[in-house]
Amino acid sequence: MSLALRQTQALSRRAVIRTLRIPQAWVPSLFFPLMLMAIFSGSFAQAPGRIPGFPEVAGFIDFVIAGIILQAVLISGTSQGAALAIDIEGGFFDRLVSSPVSRLALVSSRILANVVQGIAYALFFIGIAMVFGARIEYGFLGFLLVLVFTALLAAAAGSLGVVLALRSGSAEAAQGSFPLFFALMFFSSAFFPRETMDGWFKVVADLNPISYIVEGMRVPIVGIGDTTDVLIGLALVVGLVALGFIACLMALKRRLRGDL
Amino acid sequence: MSTAHISLSLAWRSLILVRRMPSVFIPSLVMPLFILVATAGAFRGIGALPAFEGSSYLAFTIPFATMMGGGFAGINAGSSLARDIEGGFVDRLIASPSPRLALLLGPALAAMVRSAFTTTIIFAAGFIGGVSLPGVTGTLVVYAVAAAFSVVTAGWSMGVALRTGSVQSVPLMQVVVFTAIFFSVPYAPREAQDGWLRTVSDWNPVTYMMEASRDAELAGVSASSLGLGILSAAILITLFGAFALFGLRRLGN
Repeated sequence: MSLALRQTQALSRRAVIRTLRIPQAWVPSLFFPLMLMAIFSGSFAQAPGRIPGFPEVAGFIDFVIAGIILQAVLISGTSQGAALAIDIEGGFFDRLVSSPVSRLALVSSRILANVVQGIAYALFFIGIAMVFGARIEYGFLGFLLVLVFTALLAAAAGSLGVVLALRSGSAEAAQGSFPLFFALMFFSSAFFPRETMDGWFKVVADLNPISYIVEGMRVPIVGIGDTTDVLIGLALVVGLVALGFIACLMALKRRLRGDL
Repeated sequence: MSTAHISLSLAWRSLILVRRMPSVFIPSLVMPLFILVATAGAFRGIGALPAFEGSSYLAFTIPFATMMGGGFAGINAGSSLARDIEGGFVDRLIASPSPRLALLLGPALAAMVRSAFTTTIIFAAGFIGGVSLPGVTGTLVVYAVAAAFSVVTAGWSMGVALRTGSVQSVPLMQVVVFTAIFFSVPYAPREAQDGWLRTVSDWNPVTYMMEASRDAELAGVSASSLGLGILSAAILITLFGAFALFGLRRLGN
């Protein structure tokens, strides 16, 4: 294994352990999505198949799993960003920079940590949803596809968190970006199908890439949709990961140059 | 000076803080607006269920948003008190001959005023979206329920602030208030709710406050729902008022 990979592994292990040690860093990623899953599936249980435009899925909880996982990885991404900002504020980041640690490992470790956490959250939410009667229509392969989506979404969210931390150097600013992500999520089809929306809200949801990513991720769970939906979702989330990673490297370069 | 006079002065102090610290006030205005727009836009389709009786989902969401406004105003009362405890302002007030009750009444009054302001903004946003005002009585009931909820949440938040004396307790204030609202009837009427959520909302007094406001907004004021709303508000105000008062008694010790 190359040195940069080993350093990435060690730093991401540190990031995950630190997250586990601070309940404020992981409880919101579990509590808020779990609360929304409970409330939405209790409030909208009669929606599937009964309101025009809503697909005939087995249950609302099946429909909403993808949106809930997305919410968890977004919260977790901002927490990773805040944790990196704390390292910057506290001087640990500068000590790492002055050591022979690979520059790539400085950013990829945080992203990898968010991927690990994102997969753990996905397993938790899928497990809870199954206890309440949800099932993955495409079976084990569908389950693996959901995890692939989760890992990519977590990488994209983690890289956004890293960019915010590197550019602002402030934990408060990184954490404070969550409402923006939250708005992006609500103005999409994360929790309700686009076919039931209308007016300007539908236009925004149609333009929001999150709609297509969640819809692609939802296909293997609810068994409605086709390969094109999955491929569009995967292409968009891979694009977000690539953009996020490039933005991370640019922000790191600026910080190391002393521009930030 | 009388309790009323000092309470009014403290309420005024709390209200002018809005101008000095807009970062505290703006989220409490923006979030209810965001909730109105995002909820009514994203879940508009659910309004097609028979349980909604053909009412506009935007109009259905207005009481949820106004009560969120009331909740935020109440939390602001608690967070401001916690900041005043940390900054020593409360200590100076206690050392002075002013009545302690004013420490609770002032911020509670300010919370009601803020809630009225947010409710006006929500009504204006609803009007832009095509929802007209629900008549004089209906409008007053929506304002009154949001204001009553701001007093309930102010009682809870100030009780927490008086016990912890720290702004770090704000997340605790928020979690309880939001949980109480979300586990009532924010997105769908009880008739459309399923399983355990229906049981929880049946037992949640906030449900009856929101239903009183919603009936006033959608169908005109009904004596039964208004009565249940008033009873629930009275119980919650008594409960959390006592919680804050006992906290105030502990403060001197």
